[in-house]
Amino acid sequence: MTSYGMVFDVKRCIGCNACTVACKQENSLPDGVFFTRTLSAETGEFPNVSRTYLPTICNHCEDAPCEKVCPSGATYTRDDGIVMVDGALCIGCGSCAVACPYDMRTQIDETQLTNGLFGDGNLTPFEEQGYSRFECGTFTKCDFCSERVDAGKDPACVATCPTDARVFGDLDNPDSKVSRLIRDRMGRQPLAEKNTRPKVFYID
Amino acid sequence: MTDQTPIQNSMKSGTWKKSSCKMCIHSCNTVVHVTDDGVINKIEGDPDSPANMGRLCPKGNAAIMRHYDPTRFKTPLKRTNPEKGPGIDPMWVPISWEEAMETTVRELKTSIDEDPRKLLPSIADFQKLYLWAWPLVVGNSNYFSTAGSFCGGGYHPMNGFIHSTFAAANDVNYCNYWINNGSGDGFSSHLHTAAQAFHVANARVERNMRVVCVEPRLSIGGAKAEEWVPIKPASDRHFALGLCHVLIEEGLCDYEALRNDTNAPYLVGEDGYFIRDSENKIYVWDGKDNKAKAYDDKSIGEFAIEGSYEVGGKPCKPSFQRFKDILAECTPEQMSEITTVPADTIRRIAREFSEAADIGNTINIDGRTLPLRPAGYNYYRGAHAHKYSTQSNHAFKLVNMLVGSIDMPGGHVGATLDDQKVDNGHVAEGDSGQLLGTPHQLGPHPGFSFPPDNMDLMSYFPLGVHPGHLNVEVWKNPEKFSLDFEPDVMLICHSNPIWSLPGKREDWFDIMRSMRFIVAIDIVPNDTNAFADIILPGHDSLESWNMTMIEPPHTEGMCLRQPMTDPLYDTRSEEDIFNDISEGLGLLEVWNSVLNIVNGFEESPNLKLELDQKHSDKELARRKGLNWNGKDLDWYIEHGHAVTPRRTDKWYKPWDGMRLHFYIEDIIRERDGLKKAMDNAEVPIRNEWHWDDYQPLPTPVLEPVLKDNGEYDLYAITFKDIQLNFGESLSNPWIKDIVYRDPVHTALQLNTKTAAAKGLEHGDLVLVESPYGKIYGRLGLTEGIHPETIGVSNSLSRMMSQNAGVPYGGGHFNDMLPADLENTDACSGQCESVCRVKLTKLDEIPDELKGDGSLYAYSDGKAAQ
Amino acid sequence: MANMSLKNTLRPGFVGRTFKSGYRFQRYWDTPMATAFFCGETGAGLFIVSMLVNFLPGIMLGLLITGVGKTFFHLSHMGVPSRAWRAILRPDRSWISRGLWGIIFFVGFGVIHVFGQLFAIVPEAFVMPVYWLSMAGAMMVVVYQGFAMSHSTAISLWSTGLMPVSSMLYGLLAGTTLVMALNAFGFAVADENQLALVGTVQIGLVVAVFLTIFSLLHGAKNGSKGAQQSYELLTKDFLSRAFIYGVIGIGTILPLLILMFAPVNFITTIAAAGSIMVGFCLFRVVIFKAGVMDPILTPADIFGR
Repeated sequence: MTSYGMVFDVKRCIGCNACTVACKQENSLPDGVFFTRTLSAETGEFPNVSRTYLPTICNHCEDAPCEKVCPSGATYTRDDGIVMVDGALCIGCGSCAVACPYDMRTQIDETQLTNGLFGDGNLTPFEEQGYSRFECGTFTKCDFCSERVDAGKDPACVATCPTDARVFGDLDNPDSKVSRLIRDRMGRQPLAEKNTRPKVFYID
Repeated sequence: MTDQTPIQNSMKSGTWKKSSCKMCIHSCNTVVHVTDDGVINKIEGDPDSPANMGRLCPKGNAAIMRHYDPTRFKTPLKRTNPEKGPGIDPMWVPISWEEAMETTVRELKTSIDEDPRKLLPSIADFQKLYLWAWPLVVGNSNYFSTAGSFCGGGYHPMNGFIHSTFAAANDVNYCNYWINNGSGDGFSSHLHTAAQAFHVANARVERNMRVVCVEPRLSIGGAKAEEWVPIKPASDRHFALGLCHVLIEEGLCDYEALRNDTNAPYLVGEDGYFIRDSENKIYVWDGKDNKAKAYDDKSIGEFAIEGSYEVGGKPCKPSFQRFKDILAECTPEQMSEITTVPADTIRRIAREFSEAADIGNTINIDGRTLPLRPAGYNYYRGAHAHKYSTQSNHAFKLVNMLVGSIDMPGGHVGATLDDQKVDNGHVAEGDSGQLLGTPHQLGPHPGFSFPPDNMDLMSYFPLGVHPGHLNVEVWKNPEKFSLDFEPDVMLICHSNPIWSLPGKREDWFDIMRSMRFIVAIDIVPNDTNAFADIILPGHDSLESWNMTMIEPPHTEGMCLRQPMTDPLYDTRSEEDIFNDISEGLGLLEVWNSVLNIVNGFEESPNLKLELDQKHSDKELARRKGLNWNGKDLDWYIEHGHAVTPRRTDKWYKPWDGMRLHFYIEDIIRERDGLKKAMDNAEVPIRNEWHWDDYQPLPTPVLEPVLKDNGEYDLYAITFKDIQLNFGESLSNPWIKDIVYRDPVHTALQLNTKTAAAKGLEHGDLVLVESPYGKIYGRLGLTEGIHPETIGVSNSLSRMMSQNAGVPYGGGHFNDMLPADLENTDACSGQCESVCRVKLTKLDEIPDELKGDGSLYAYSDGKAAQ
Repeated sequence: MANMSLKNTLRPGFVGRTFKSGYRFQRYWDTPMATAFFCGETGAGLFIVSMLVNFLPGIMLGLLITGVGKTFFHLSHMGVPSRAWRAILRPDRSWISRGLWGIIFFVGFGVIHVFGQLFAIVPEAFVMPVYWLSMAGAMMVVVYQGFAMSHSTAISLWSTGLMPVSSMLYGLLAGTTLVMALNAFGFAVADENQLALVGTVQIGLVVAVFLTIFSLLHGAKNGSKGAQQSYELLTKDFLSRAFIYGVIGIGTILPLLILMFAPVNFITTIAAAGSIMVGFCLFRVVIFKAGVMDPILTPADIFGR
């Protein structure tokens, strides 16, 4: 079986958010909608202070709480472990959003699809060719660029990452780069105590 | 899925075409996806490029939003509102190209016929450097922009002296110890960010390269570094001199390299000039024979680099000894007092640096045995852009030179700007076995003139890069500077000087308002072109042709830009516009001659432009490609670029057999040449000229900004990160969506303890005042900044402008900087980039920040979304 | 005029939608959803209590509050109301689905029950099945919202078994309270003894609710960091007034004092009922607003620094 997951190499990440913009580009995301975002966290006291950049994304949990609470069946998990949302089935109840410990669900609202990225009430040709995938009121999230993955490509955020801080691959294959990185560099899952079994790992 | 058509943009039906990015001045290679309906919907890095290897930075990822920006200039425009000012609507009305060009040519001609110096050009497209040369066509050498003021008045000439290149970088291929001083190279900005960041991350993770970041603010580089060394702003030279002191005091230098590969043994007389024999050859002291000999005397047993000697009755010392004498006053303890970096830290880093340099070790690369020196001191604007910039630049280079790492594998290596031809070398032998210094990397110096032919006084900077900031002081005091012409027309091309220049905005506005006629070639509305009378709309980078190579540190070769779609609007290429203007002025042949020279077509007869014809952007791209590697345009259309890793013979020690400038005699010579010219011409300001800025070796002289300034108890610095690298960022909705969510870019950064001592809290509104200007802003407290510093992200320096998509802040950082001769390096033209400030807490929102368009209101909205 | 405040709008430690690691409020379920929950539990509680004492006005009002009120507020919250029916599809895993089935049973059989009572149209054999099916539905409605919240691992404040307990206790408290209030307004409960029993149970439920809230607070105070933030918000920060004075003071202590020490008359009954219902309503809103998500990651959690 294939089980797709991602490894974030925090030592490499420079917090540039090229991933975030690449995702917006690939997925035609409206203003304020993010499928991935890289956060920063400052620790320590001057002069012994550091700042850590922490990429975040849908964890495609094996025990996905968003899927468990979805009353309409819009959320489902593919055989390869990618957690999907079928927008055509979503009723917009928000159960998934309050269930996701990673805050990775976003509701599309009317103004986002009509105001346009430039906020002037007009859509650019780019938006016009892209927004049909969204329906007002539904919830949406990262799907690991499933169409690219099906075509054998890396997700857009991974492909563009200037420092190779994002690695995508098959967690079930012990020889994959993700598996090796998790093994060799002690990959850790975010909020592991929530028992959602995330398929995203962090190494330092 | 109910719908089988792909929803991800890169998977939709369409075509991929190769091109190059232009979201900053550099040129990462791209692949662009155009849908069957002709919409550009995805831009990715070209995976076949050895430069960026498929990667793009956030700006490169956001290029589509520039292309489809609804505020783009869509036709030629004419102003109908005579009132000009920030935020004042010019009330553009569309006009025909015929009318626009006719007006432009007529108005330019009126002034140029009277006096060609009356034109102020501001031409700043780095990917089309040949356009910068257009003013030569009319015999004009004015310059109304910032290249010398900020990026590298002192930086580029020093690279020219030391490496004979435009830029420099640490060699990531082998470097193990990377000192990063006031620079974003490899982490967040400057040279090919996405490409460099990739290589640097690999070196850090795979080779455990140690990064030591010396800077007042914990930048991205500092965050990734093994060690962050907080330093007081504008004291970086003193840190470097402290390292030099320790390296020399403790005998940690590469003495073999100093003796054989530099002019450190050359004997310097008391007047600062080398001591020469009758054949004009420079003397060295043979320590074995204990006598002076010409530098190339085969009998020399040992090049002395220390001691005091007498040659022909003249007392003299090897230049190394001269530096050692200077360093006597640069102990780590003394430097610690200035920099606030503990003396022990300075000592430790010097030792670590030398140890990492592994002096004595060699490596065989492509059949050459080269010193392996895996330690480099890299620096950029934050470290060098001060009053004594030349000395600072020189000090940083000398840290490298002392351990023998200049242009060596793993060390600090020069990077050329644009080699034009794959076989072109960039080094030549100069005087007495020294590498020929090439300080004028952007073109020849216009030469001394009095009265000055240029309002920025470039005539008086024989070693500098155009100090555009001086335009304002000279314009305000024409008598003092003997200016005998009054500029009244301006030609702007992809340049936003009144946003980027230091000094008071109001003064710059006044210059703009005083112009009889301004024409601007541009793509989107900005601060400067809001003052234009005519707008000539240009194609954007997804609609035009180009061929360029821009100072890529680790790769070389031409990069193609090609149109992805037909122009969306009634726009033209810059080439078409300049051709038509030249023709209108009757100077087309001169323009073609200039293009032949600056593009290197002069040496390739078959590529020379026909003087009586107009050559399109496509044709120029074609010939530049042919000039590089003999490949025609169809080859480039297929491959996108001719980028390869830098060839090691050009990258490593290309000056083999020559000597590096440890001591720069040319600086003294140019000083005296200028002095003589000024004396002969009786230039009134010659006695105020800062002749001491010309130093052949760096000294620990204090930057004026470091001297006590009473109530101004803090230093203000400004910075950019990778999302803001270079310019033109914050009208782009995707960039705005990430920048204004980053706490570093939405508040003035102040140290927590400093704030506590001043009774200030996170989120307080403050007035920041320097002796020259002020800004308003909201405080963001952090541990990651030097306690004497307030950090002002470039994102906050946005003014009210005709582009409503750019949220405005509480003034412009550059308003707080002095734009005057007093604070300019008289040697290089570099201006000071740091200022002293004081903070005052405000109880009310200042007028500047009122309104929903303020970036604070905007970022609060983003935070709440 | 700018809507910019003098201070940064974010609370210390909270990061909103900025790119900083830290606490975030849940912002997906807000007042309309809280009102829907309030209506659901109130209606079901009133229905259950009224069914037990065979109090037709209460039964009808309970059906109305849930059937109309809850439905209205749910639909106004929902992103795609036209697809609301789809919520029935996953009772195997989703408490929202289970709850919707509960509503259908409760309202459907409840209405049949009422019609049976009024017009005697239900055949004798079906009277008791209808009665119990509607009761089962109502029982589901009175607890499922608490289960839906307690199943949110994301929000530690909610992620506790006390959530369905508080739902049930509040629902039944609202039920007994409204029965007493309706009685005071002249919709008399036939059996005096049963009325007295309802009154006694009401007092017991106020005490139980009071204890549940304290257990909830205790759990939050000693829970995850996110739960501790919720505790701070409820007890010291911007929610503390609504929570301490509103939910605890007006919602439990005041009615307890009235019910135990004031003479029983129209005014005291209505005053007690009003304060209980206000407290309950505030509880629903405040618990939503106090929902805090833990930082997705902190360097300390991930790498121990």
